[in-house]
Amino acid sequence: MAQPLVKKDDDHDDDLEFSPFMGIEKGAVLQEARVFNDPQLDPRRCSQVITKLLYLLNQGESFTKVEATEVFFSVTKLFQSKDTGLRRMVYLIIKELSPSADEVIIVTSSLMKDMNSKIDMYRANAIRVLCRIIDGTLLTQIERYLKQAIVDKNPVVSSAALVSGLHMLKTNPEIVKRWSNEVQEAVQSRAPLVQFHGLALLHQIRQNDRLAVSKLVGTLTRGAVRSPLAQCLLIRYSSQIIRDMSNHGQSGERPFYEFLEGCLRHKAEMVILEAARAITELDGVPRQDLAPAITVLQLFLSSPKPVLRFAAVRTLNKVAMTHPMAVTNCNIDMESLISDQNRSIATLAITTLLKTGNESSVERLMKQITNFMSDIADEFKIVVVEAIRSLCIKFPLKYRSLMNFLSNILREEGGFEYKRAIVDSIVTIIRDIPDAKENGLLHLCEFIEDCEFTYLSTQILHFLGIEGPNTSDPSKYIRYIYNRVHLENATVRAAAVCTLAKFGFMVEALKPRITVLLKRCIYDSDDEVRDRATLFLSVLGNDGLVDTEKDSIGFLFGSLEAPLVNLETSLKNYEPSEEAFDVDSVPKEVRSQPLAEKKAKDKKPTGLGAPPPAPVSGFDAYERLLSSIPEFASFGKLFKSSSPVELTEAETEYSVNVVKHIFKSHVVFQYNCTNTVPDQLLERVNVIVDASEAEEFSEVSSKPLNSLPYDSPGQAFVVFEKPEGVPAVGKFSNTLTFIVREVDQSTGEADDDGVEDEYQLEDHEIVSADYMVNVGVSNFRNAWENMVPENEIVDEYGIGPRDSLAEAVNAVTDLLGMQSCEGTETVASNARSHTCLLSGLYIGNVKVLVKAQFGMDSTKEIVMKLSVRAEDQSVSEAIHTLVSCG
Amino acid sequence: MILAVLFANSVGNVLIERFNGVPAEERLHWRSFLVKLGAENLKGVKNEELLVACHKSVYIVYTMLGDVSIFLVGKDEYDELALAETMFIITAAVKDVCGKPPTERVFLDKYGRICLCLDEIVWNGLLENTDKDRIKRLIRMSFLDSLFYQIFNYLLLLLFDQTRINFL
Repeated sequence: MAQPLVKKDDDHDDDLEFSPFMGIEKGAVLQEARVFNDPQLDPRRCSQVITKLLYLLNQGESFTKVEATEVFFSVTKLFQSKDTGLRRMVYLIIKELSPSADEVIIVTSSLMKDMNSKIDMYRANAIRVLCRIIDGTLLTQIERYLKQAIVDKNPVVSSAALVSGLHMLKTNPEIVKRWSNEVQEAVQSRAPLVQFHGLALLHQIRQNDRLAVSKLVGTLTRGAVRSPLAQCLLIRYSSQIIRDMSNHGQSGERPFYEFLEGCLRHKAEMVILEAARAITELDGVPRQDLAPAITVLQLFLSSPKPVLRFAAVRTLNKVAMTHPMAVTNCNIDMESLISDQNRSIATLAITTLLKTGNESSVERLMKQITNFMSDIADEFKIVVVEAIRSLCIKFPLKYRSLMNFLSNILREEGGFEYKRAIVDSIVTIIRDIPDAKENGLLHLCEFIEDCEFTYLSTQILHFLGIEGPNTSDPSKYIRYIYNRVHLENATVRAAAVCTLAKFGFMVEALKPRITVLLKRCIYDSDDEVRDRATLFLSVLGNDGLVDTEKDSIGFLFGSLEAPLVNLETSLKNYEPSEEAFDVDSVPKEVRSQPLAEKKAKDKKPTGLGAPPPAPVSGFDAYERLLSSIPEFASFGKLFKSSSPVELTEAETEYSVNVVKHIFKSHVVFQYNCTNTVPDQLLERVNVIVDASEAEEFSEVSSKPLNSLPYDSPGQAFVVFEKPEGVPAVGKFSNTLTFIVREVDQSTGEADDDGVEDEYQLEDHEIVSADYMVNVGVSNFRNAWENMVPENEIVDEYGIGPRDSLAEAVNAVTDLLGMQSCEGTETVASNARSHTCLLSGLYIGNVKVLVKAQFGMDSTKEIVMKLSVRAEDQSVSEAIHTLVSCG
Repeated sequence: MILAVLFANSVGNVLIERFNGVPAEERLHWRSFLVKLGAENLKGVKNEELLVACHKSVYIVYTMLGDVSIFLVGKDEYDELALAETMFIITAAVKDVCGKPPTERVFLDKYGRICLCLDEIVWNGLLENTDKDRIKRLIRMSFLDSLFYQIFNYLLLLLFDQTRINFL
């Protein structure tokens, strides 16, 4: 316990024994609250009771609705008292009790009276309480007073009104936006606090108007901002403007950079750090511009205040990810932080050093970290382990010392997440550095001898089954694996049986011995273990269960083509019948919720009538929707549904997006329409599609939407036929046609007369990527090797100049519409070469794998070597055609 | 947003807690996480020395004041620097109310006023008031008030001593 600065006197022990709230009970306090109803109020006693109520609430005690209402009504009687101290307590307890909308009315008149009181404290607090408890209707009534309060001479009143504005902006933005002039005046206030709150509110009001924000920041950066907090806000807004400008392609000039650099010499430490952080986070900041910020941060590394050290090292840690060389000057200061009392600082220092250190300092660093690891919590250890993993990939020659470090910490005590991080790191190192394989596999084998986590044991056994048979002496792993069959629970035993079978299949010399071991497993107490052993014995004995060696490989090493979630859903939907469950019927598409529909989900129904139907999203949902429409029943199985493509701009009268559903010889366009005009009802909504630029498509039918009320989405469909199995492409122009009827908003009734109207929509295209389903594979290398090499086609392409490799990788992935594997979609910053692994399923259910190797020269010209393997050579050719045309 | 303000005693019992924008089901997790963090790191720390940690995308600044540990949790614009500023105001206000770094007893004695201070400083997750003198005035703890209060206590003590002497 901390040593208090107070002198320990004789009464101190008594203090500890006696608490004013000892034995406090809710029932008794509620009884005491009856003093609020006394005709002669005792302010002191009433304050004590309110304090007890606050204590109860702060201890997590909750009042029932009846109790809260009773207390609230009693509290309102206290407005009769003139005692200011009691009044202050009354304000607080009303906020804590959060009365319901129908109860609020009883205090509003008292609070509105206080809002115009001569006592500043009354004015400020009445505003705060009112804003907490009222709704939009009442807000319009007091708006006039709030505007006055914003420009009040007393900073407390002004601040209260401004902060209330910040809170109410979330619920009643239209009303608060009308206070712009008053808030503008508050920003010019001499009181630092008013300026701070004023600036925050004004920025919130104008945040969607880039020009206004830029003007505001421009004015304030020239003038004197008094509050350091406001100055920090200004720095954030300036850097946001710089970022926005670079996002909109206005590169070259950085309008507020001088201001940011000037803030590095501010007297407040908070401002200096904020400015340094803003400079380091600028996109593409040159080294010479970065230098002053790094120097300032370096100075803070040796500050006596932990918060400043933390802020500095946290910022440097981020800089190290993008500009490791810029941070190397701070390495000595950071090394001294490894022994910092504050473990968060020490961890950040270590992870930064691991990023910035050079190859020669790795051993020294590892020594320092070893001492440090024993006395930090698991969450910090995980961060360090992840940093070591990256370091090992960066300096492959140092894998021995890093692998030894990882194996040592693997033997120590630790929770599941920590152990998993270590195991993941070892696995990554084994995959990326072939020399580390045997050593790493042995470390993992030793770990499973004494591993308490079933999940990790099974993962390691699976990994051993894939990598172990390819080592120089596979037999040395068998002992570790077979031990699991004797010593572990059923889940691990079953995994061990699978691994043994893989060894038996891959290593011919081990096959007889593995068969003996598997035969022993058929007497296991667990059904699953016995079943697996029996199955694998059949596979190994080649007794006709599987036809060819290729089938055996596919069975043992192949990955499940469909995502597990899809399999689970399909199994749940399967009703037991004569017909067996067909694995091929499981959708293979990786489900991801489109952003547009996520937003739609968050939107609360505000329209008239019944709430809108839940938005239709995901492959399953589309499949269900389409199969429920008889006209589409004959099209066969749905191959792919695209994510929605917006055909209207945001915030227009009618919002329309299209989802493209691909069938074997048909394409269905699903137009999701939303009417955003409250006083209109649309009827017979249809989309007229002009397919003159899509020659291979011919329109078959369309299914209009009968009625489209306000804010209630509906779907119209248009069907096109195309040559079977051919990846036809084309462009489609769309026009929305409908009959519009005016709706009387007071009665909700629509006019009898409707007017025909049409609305031009954006065009959309069917592209080759629409014929590709992004199906992932768990082990790309195995999948690649199992694919026939004769079907491989390799070619090179010049992509042209790009800002970064990541941009080129994203462009190619989007063009092909394939799933990136093994995290290869992430490109290291400043990388000059990268390999991206992609997999997918082409129309006709043809599996395709792609290795795309990118390289960038000094002029940022990017070239790509594309290797494609597919089950059908024509598909490999089609992918190359696609890339060359794209 | 300041997600949480929490005061705990030396054995980890919560004295005051204010959560903003934290779902009810996550509060227990935060409460136990903060108390554990304090138990592990606040031993032997000087009064008002700020400690800092980060957990995922949130920042935590915490300190010891007398027998009471104070924790602030923030995210986005309320990073470690803004939280340190808020903590500085909170500790100054608590010291003003209690007259010294408080024992648990003194803290509980002044519970109502401390709640008022906190209400002035942090409101619904936003830092509102940063001027400790103004806060003192707003919760009716003017200089004269506190002076009278101290003189009254002193007289009471004298009276008590006198009675004890007479009794002996």
